[in-house]
Amino acid sequence: MTRLRSALAGLAEEAPLVSLADAAIAGHRRRRRTRLALTGVAAVTTAAALVVTVAAGAVVLPRGADPATEAAAVPDLPDGKVGAISRAYLTPCEVGKKTKRVDCGAVEWRVVTRSGRTYGVPQALTSSRDDPRVPVAISRDGRMLAYYSRAAQAHVVRDLVGGAEVTSPVKVEEDRIGAGSMLALSDDGRYLAFDPREGSKEPGLLVDVRTGRTVSIPGRYEVISIKDGAAELIRYRKTDLWLMPVTGGGKPVRFDGTFIMFSEIAPDGRTVAAVEFAELNKRRLTLLDVKTGRTLRKVSIGGLPKGSGIDGTGIWLSRKEVTVVVSGRSGGHSYALDVTTGKARRWADLGPARKHATVLPGVS
Amino acid sequence: MDRHDGFREFVLARQQSLMRTAYLLTGDAHLAEDLLQSVLAKVVGHWPKLSKGGNPEAYTRKALVNQYIAWKRRSRPELPSADPPDSGMSYDDATLDRIVLRRVLAKLTCKQRAMIVLRFWEDLTEAQTAEVLGCSIGNVKSQTHHALARLRMLAPELVDVRMEEVTR
Repeated sequence: MTRLRSALAGLAEEAPLVSLADAAIAGHRRRRRTRLALTGVAAVTTAAALVVTVAAGAVVLPRGADPATEAAAVPDLPDGKVGAISRAYLTPCEVGKKTKRVDCGAVEWRVVTRSGRTYGVPQALTSSRDDPRVPVAISRDGRMLAYYSRAAQAHVVRDLVGGAEVTSPVKVEEDRIGAGSMLALSDDGRYLAFDPREGSKEPGLLVDVRTGRTVSIPGRYEVISIKDGAAELIRYRKTDLWLMPVTGGGKPVRFDGTFIMFSEIAPDGRTVAAVEFAELNKRRLTLLDVKTGRTLRKVSIGGLPKGSGIDGTGIWLSRKEVTVVVSGRSGGHSYALDVTTGKARRWADLGPARKHATVLPGVS
Repeated sequence: MDRHDGFREFVLARQQSLMRTAYLLTGDAHLAEDLLQSVLAKVVGHWPKLSKGGNPEAYTRKALVNQYIAWKRRSRPELPSADPPDSGMSYDDATLDRIVLRRVLAKLTCKQRAMIVLRFWEDLTEAQTAEVLGCSIGNVKSQTHHALARLRMLAPELVDVRMEEVTR
């Protein structure tokens, strides 16, 4: 072999290891989607022209998702530093305009940075055999993103500010991801809670992605958050809350009543906000003491738009303010509720109101 | 069973080999990955046809080279890496050859570079190279001649004097 050939071989060996199948499939789907969107826009333009001809002044607006925001191609999440994110969302399935067939082949997770840029995350699995919505998780500060990677057969944690990426040493078979699976992430991205099927008795897993150490989470409990070295676990119907240290241990406390939509632990370390099941339509939160199980007080929420309903609670912004996720005719919104006064102020807009399609920082 | 499973298997088996070719063509790891990914994204669309009777690898390689030339024609700048190519500390002959080769390949035209990669890395014959690049055998011969002449001028130690005769 000549020196040229061996130098070429040596240089070729410097090529980095890659795993491109899923990214290529996602790229293909994006292109296809863009083509469809352009065809759709052309069709709408033609239709609009016809309407204008028949009845001047009439305005035709396409119903459903706006193709400009939902179907337009966006760049893939690049390696390295991209900045903290404010939310992640799952793109909707396409419905054939004529055939009315639903095509979910191009669905992908996207993230929106705080500066407003949107990236596709084709490496994040969107659906498994049993789960049409395989979740992602965002740390409370929007810095860390966790998702399941088909290529790695494991969860991956991306530090979007620092640029680092860690693949969980604990492999999880894709088929284990059942209907209604759940994912939660600690602020530092070190701990990951995975529930293969919420609401079932199948146990979940708390994983230390640095060491690979795992702690089993009893199937009856569902994970709300991982914060300050403890996983907040809820057993519904009874209702029990268990602040389980990430190394295991601790014991649950029982509340008097049936509560849903739990927030994370407040900065005081002992309060959570939840909605009493019987008061679901009353726009009222209950503050609960996680040490004693006692109800601290009820907070009626003022300042929400008419006709909107509470979808859940989220993180605490301060000792007084907890976020409440609300959906209504104008889409999904996050409100900051002052629990001392009951006044809510608009905190963030979440885009089109499609339940379960948006993931917020710190909310599993 | 996913309709893309066959494509996934193909990529899993051949992506590293294709990535090496892409890397030799572009000289930059990120560009090479972009190049290969964009080509594979197109291959997915043709996969049903390719898997039935085509030669997916040959098709992909051809698409890779053509896409590379198309990119270069749009004057996409080559971004030389500021980092040393390897973390090794010993600069033996082979390492020096790689450093020199990286530098001189960047000075060839895109088609000359493709010739070098296809002829001396992929070991394709002149006829096969002509098929990949969609040009005549005569064109392959002349482009290779010019590429080797340029290499010989920039890095005489890399190119045997007899090489051109051997390749003819």
